[in-house]
Amino acid sequence: MRGGLLRDLLTAEIRRRMSYRADFWISAVSSLAVRLAVAWFIVKAVFEGSGRPVVGGYDATQMFFYYVAVILVGKLVQSTDLEQSVSQDIYEGGLTRYLLYPVPYGLVKYVQQLGAMGPAAVQIAVFAAWIPLAFGWPQGLTPGGAAMGIAAIAMANLLHFLMTFPIQLVSFWADNVWSLMVMHRFASALLGGMLAPLALFSDSTRLVLEALPFRYLFAFPVESMLGRLSPAQWAVGMLVGLGWCGVMSILGRVVWRRGTFQYTGVGI
Amino acid sequence: MEFRVDFWFRIVMDSVWYVVNFLFFWVLFRHTSVLGEWNYDQSLVFLGGVFVSDALHMTIFSNNMWWLPILINKGDLDFYLVRPVSSLFFVSLREFAANSFVNLLMAAGVMGWALVRYPGPLGPGSLALFAACLLVGVVLHFLLHLMFLLPAFWMHTSHGLREVYFSMTETMTRPAGIFSGWILRLLVTVLPFAVIVSFPTRALFAGNPWPVVLHLGAVTAAAFLAALAMWRAGVRSYASASS
Repeated sequence: MRGGLLRDLLTAEIRRRMSYRADFWISAVSSLAVRLAVAWFIVKAVFEGSGRPVVGGYDATQMFFYYVAVILVGKLVQSTDLEQSVSQDIYEGGLTRYLLYPVPYGLVKYVQQLGAMGPAAVQIAVFAAWIPLAFGWPQGLTPGGAAMGIAAIAMANLLHFLMTFPIQLVSFWADNVWSLMVMHRFASALLGGMLAPLALFSDSTRLVLEALPFRYLFAFPVESMLGRLSPAQWAVGMLVGLGWCGVMSILGRVVWRRGTFQYTGVGI
Repeated sequence: MEFRVDFWFRIVMDSVWYVVNFLFFWVLFRHTSVLGEWNYDQSLVFLGGVFVSDALHMTIFSNNMWWLPILINKGDLDFYLVRPVSSLFFVSLREFAANSFVNLLMAAGVMGWALVRYPGPLGPGSLALFAACLLVGVVLHFLLHLMFLLPAFWMHTSHGLREVYFSMTETMTRPAGIFSGWILRLLVTVLPFAVIVSFPTRALFAGNPWPVVLHLGAVTAAAFLAALAMWRAGVRSYASASS
């Protein structure tokens, strides 16, 4: 019964996502085009300004491919977090019906997020197929690296959900958690390597960033995919990322338990 | 002040955005001495301009722009069309965001700091021109935002082309000097996001600021006429809740 319910939730969410197809594609294409263009010009300006062929261990082409990959991976990892369905359930009292489901609420929400990610994954596959035609084959991308990257993306998606879940649960106490989610997005963009490769930070800063969870959201999957990590480094990274998943999962459970004690079923 | 926690969350959120942008530029300048046309000190002034421009937009226009497509989509625009004042003026300026006003003070502080620490000479005339151009840039930002939302009159969605607008704003937060070719031409004419803050900053540092000032004035005037024409066409096709 649990499996059937989760499958139904997944397919229902995919169908819901595809019901606004024009919007979906206009937003995706414009966002991708603008971000790729800005990334291209930032990379060009940094290399022209530095006058060096290699910056932070990347040549200009490698750094551009890093940005291309991190933009696409970011869409898969972040999925639909800003829609904040968890906080909406709490505000509007919609959480009540989920409390009656035979599966934990967090699992239901994660499956819905995976469903929402389905159409985004199709988009990314379309864009990714176009990238080698437009810019050539990314250096360092091998079948082995791609496999490591896909596993790292799956871990990153779970970690992202587990990091944002307790933030959304703050809705039990606060009137609006949208700004907390945006804060998380800003911080993870910088500390996770979405705005710039982490190799551009100083060595001491990088050591700190490697211990924090943000790197495992974006930079780690991209570095795995582009062949910048050895299998041993990848394995260590996966362990650290999964460790953070465990920590965030415990934090989510604690916040959930405390929040549901005061949930009245009529929203706040 | 009705939602106090949210009030403070939003102030902290914008502060995080300032810090993230500042660190981003700092990281880039660890590896280069020039980004586009500006050095680190000039880029900090540009960044201060981005913060002030964004904070002014958030304080004066952003909440109103958030509600505009919803008003159109749900038919609530009726209540504004029947009032004896310009409906566009009213829907654009009716709400003031107090929490963003606090951020405006912080942004002005950052820009003041960037200007004070700037090692070159900056005369009062140049600073006054910079401030005036920055205000024109805020108006241009509002007009562009409006033009991306007005398609809600025809698109039957509750957000127009809001996502496209949000994507485009990234080009506003990077120096225009990094762009080149047809993308630069696009970003300073048809979709002049790169003009909003970069051109006021150019006016401050350029030997002869007047070509830049004229360009900024011309694209803002053109955007005003285009937004007005779109608004009028939209109101003509507006059919209350069925829009």
